[in-house]
Amino acid sequence: MAASPTTLRLTLHVWRQAGPERPGGFEVHHLAEVSVDMSFLEMLDILNEQLLSQGRDPFCFDHDCREGICGMCSLVINGQVHGPEAEITTCQLHMRHFADGDTIVIEPFRARALPVVRDLVVDRSALDRIIAAGGYISTDAGSAPEANALPVSTAVADEAMDAAACIGCAGCVAACPNASAMLFTAAKVSHLALLPQGAPERDRRALAMVERMDDEGFGGCTNERECQAACPKAVSVAHIARLNREFLRSSVLGRS
Amino acid sequence: MLDRLRRALGSSIGSKALMACTGLLLIGFLIAHLAGNLLLYADSEGRAFDAYASTLENSPLLPAAEAGLALLFCVHIVLAVRVQRANREARDVAYRARSSHGARTPGSATMVATGVIVLLFLLAHLYDFRINRPDGDSLALIVRERLASPSGLAVYSIGVAALGLHLTHALRSALQTLGLHRPGYEGLIDKASLLLGIVLGLAFWSFPLVFFLGGAA
Amino acid sequence: MSAASDRLDARCPGGDMATRWTRHKFDLDLINPANRRGFHVIVVGTGLAGGSAAASLAEMGYSVTSMCIQDSPRRAHSIAAQGGINAAKAYRNDGDSVHRLFYDTVKGGDFRARESNVHRLAEVSNQIIDQCVALGVPFAREYGGTLANRSFGGAQVARTFYARGQTGQQLLLGAYGSLMRQVHAGRVNLLPRREMVELVVSGGNACGVIARNLVTGEYERHAADAVLLCTGGYGNVFRLSTNAQASNVTAAWRCHRRGAFFANPCYTQIHPTCIPVSGAHQSKLTLMSESLRNDGRVWVPSRAGDERAPGDIPEAERDHYLERRYPSFGNLVPRDVASRAAKRVCDEGFGVGATGTAVFLDFADAIARDGRTAVEARYGNLFQMYEMITGEDPYRVPMRIFPAVHYTMGGLWVDYNLETTVPGLFALGEANFSDHGANRLGASALMQGLADGTFVIPATITAHLAGRSFERVDVGAPAFAEAEAEARARNDRILGVGGGSTVTSLHRELGQCMWNLVGMSRSAAGLGEAIERVRELRDRFWADVRVPGEANHLNPSLEHAGRLADFLEFAELLATDALSREESCGGHFREEHQTAEGEALRNDEDFCHVAAWEHGALGSTRHTEPLTFEEVHLVTRSYK
Repeated sequence: MAASPTTLRLTLHVWRQAGPERPGGFEVHHLAEVSVDMSFLEMLDILNEQLLSQGRDPFCFDHDCREGICGMCSLVINGQVHGPEAEITTCQLHMRHFADGDTIVIEPFRARALPVVRDLVVDRSALDRIIAAGGYISTDAGSAPEANALPVSTAVADEAMDAAACIGCAGCVAACPNASAMLFTAAKVSHLALLPQGAPERDRRALAMVERMDDEGFGGCTNERECQAACPKAVSVAHIARLNREFLRSSVLGRS
Repeated sequence: MLDRLRRALGSSIGSKALMACTGLLLIGFLIAHLAGNLLLYADSEGRAFDAYASTLENSPLLPAAEAGLALLFCVHIVLAVRVQRANREARDVAYRARSSHGARTPGSATMVATGVIVLLFLLAHLYDFRINRPDGDSLALIVRERLASPSGLAVYSIGVAALGLHLTHALRSALQTLGLHRPGYEGLIDKASLLLGIVLGLAFWSFPLVFFLGGAA
Repeated sequence: MSAASDRLDARCPGGDMATRWTRHKFDLDLINPANRRGFHVIVVGTGLAGGSAAASLAEMGYSVTSMCIQDSPRRAHSIAAQGGINAAKAYRNDGDSVHRLFYDTVKGGDFRARESNVHRLAEVSNQIIDQCVALGVPFAREYGGTLANRSFGGAQVARTFYARGQTGQQLLLGAYGSLMRQVHAGRVNLLPRREMVELVVSGGNACGVIARNLVTGEYERHAADAVLLCTGGYGNVFRLSTNAQASNVTAAWRCHRRGAFFANPCYTQIHPTCIPVSGAHQSKLTLMSESLRNDGRVWVPSRAGDERAPGDIPEAERDHYLERRYPSFGNLVPRDVASRAAKRVCDEGFGVGATGTAVFLDFADAIARDGRTAVEARYGNLFQMYEMITGEDPYRVPMRIFPAVHYTMGGLWVDYNLETTVPGLFALGEANFSDHGANRLGASALMQGLADGTFVIPATITAHLAGRSFERVDVGAPAFAEAEAEARARNDRILGVGGGSTVTSLHRELGQCMWNLVGMSRSAAGLGEAIERVRELRDRFWADVRVPGEANHLNPSLEHAGRLADFLEFAELLATDALSREESCGGHFREEHQTAEGEALRNDEDFCHVAAWEHGALGSTRHTEPLTFEEVHLVTRSYK
């Protein structure tokens, strides 16, 4: 087997857009000497440094923790949300997964409810508004009972944790053929519906969050599980089924 | 309470739940329809089928059943249009590169197209045996003649192919939408859904194929 | 050098330690619930401290403005904490108590924290767990359904609550949920993608902030009756750290320049088990849980510059230097000791990997002893993360690790009420200095953030709001105009330089200087050199930085430049503080002050105090707050 190269030459097609209402398009850039040890975002750092040295504007892209937990990074790489590797965020993707001479198309998350702010940066405040509609348990500070007063089985706690692992990156929306936010919304509804603490607000939570989700202009779920495949935290579509159940149950049987 | 139900039906999940319910009922109808059609194979003169058809046509419940069936179709179609429009609007700028890594199947990716074809096929089917039904006592004979013609073979092959493809995604999608999902059963439900589409599709396809190859007589 | 300052009255209640907080709360003035709406509080930052403070104050009825630098309050860097959160619940029946948590934290901080504050922290730790469970945080459970605990460094009891390796995330999402509930209720005005660029002080009181809208570039004036600074630590002064990219010192530094004293900036925590730097492109260091040292053996080749593959180096030619130097604790010595030992062997030329700045953490023995399955069950996700980043399989090749900056114990000086030396300005969480002394124990940062935000500030904010009379200042006041003009001028000046150096390259230079000279091991000569180089770099920044674009749009280069400008000022203060603290304690190690065996040597005679720096036109002035230990007696830490 030939030794794999330690640096790569790449051709990048990167989306450039000055603002939400402005036209956008792809720019082509070439990078030589990209170390295979770099993360994808470090590769973009290098591109930006190169652009700066040429007196051109760097690309804006969202990033923060660079360890896969804050949910800030948000790129579609060659048509795949967060790139070609499963269960990671863009910041965790490393250049050794690309080959010398590759062409890489880099696009922002695309959905009407997630408008482009600039270049590769999108506005995800719609997701915050979905949470604000009911994605919490209403317990004021100081009013909590003793923590062990309410036992929760390990199986339930684990399943709730699986759902709660969502990092709110909106990758599910970006990957969905319909730009639906069902997996995001379902993750929170499911997390709180599973736990006994969440029971008092079950009836209104699913209804309020789905109503908000619809109003934000996200599409609907056609059960193709693209979201689950793109999710960096492997949140399962089983939670979407639970959301559907919660919603229908609350609609028919719920107390107002 | 009613207000809540009305709002639920207006929501994305409510619309899809209703689509799922109507879809499941339509699958029930298809199975019943297939069972009736299989009587065409019972005897070469088509007596069993004709007897079944006349019982059906003389039943006082038929208008109500037909109206119900029409309603199922209409609700399913109207909701499909509404959901599809919302889904289309939800992404205003398309990706330049796109690749699928979930459980997208030929069936799931073409639900709208196959749905439209099935609708057109349904209209052609109604035209053939309802609106433009040729004179004659034996419906079985009329069916055989129609399906044995090259145009019959073409129209009915395309129609049932689209129907079968549509159904491969139907069951699994409906169950998920109605919240009937247990972790671990995903694969089983996928297979059942695929099987339903293939079996119903092939079974319905057998009629034009058999009659075309065997000749009308 | 500096005497105890009357500017630093900690306002600690005296008397019986166990009842201090209760008595203090009783002594504080209250505000009638109906009147709280009339008080406006700005909370800067939405991490555990800021998020929980904004939510709790809004729940009580105050009008709150909450701002964060990210696009959503859910992304603050508290989210990255892995290990857990301590509490004195004593669920394991192992003799834990509030007093023991208090004791461990004071001792772990190497006796440089304020006893009263630490005791309060231990006291409210139990309420925090209750609150978090009620908010739906999916903590790990025992089979019977009760909460599970794990043990953590620096304690002999199991008191750490955890949610897989994502405790920080789950706690933050709990606080975020509560915050969004108040946003929905209209009691919190949420402003994401905002950076606080100036504190507004009028009549000696903090009366608002100038924030820059990072999307539109607009400068916004926000007036308030109190400002809460919850903006985290300053680890990125080293450029490479485990902090998020946007973590910065700007908000704290702006407050410092407006009169808030900065305490103990030299207390920085270096975490021993991070994935080493792979090249100049490196933007961030990733932490690997400390738990790895339970089964991994740390070693380097016995011969400097040995370039053989690790598997080719026979046992006899390996130096397990931690086991050799610390036979009783071995690979499990505390963070600071392990970090310094790694630096020392690398400095002496024994380091491994392409850069020579790494040591091996080898699991071969553990795999041979317990089997691969057992090791996988314990550390599977960490091994996966390591392989993802380095491309090497740690089941076959030893991990390469090196220390990295992880947390900063220093911060704005605050009194017992968490109020800074500027009346009306409070600092919470990592942004203040108060609870961890010179070294923070694992699983204590999350505890402190939530304690400050959920239970302390809701009680103590009345010390300002109800306790004294102050004049309301609106955004039209000259103080706002002046502060906004300064902020604008600073950015315009940056954009106007038009030189040839990128912000990243200058930040990298600062980081290298700070890491080499003000990092794990510090000397008077090195610190002096660092101060010179920081000054030179600061001059170069203002003469040669190149920032493209304008101030009126999303411009990350401009944001980064503004933060670097403040880091360049702050770095000098950090080095100066390190130079003036003539002792070794916790995260601060001075080469001049070590035992014959190379261990840290504290100087309680002269340095048992908090050093708080006052900003002045002619330089910084060092003030001190003496530390008295009434409950915990001063002893020397030993891990031999």
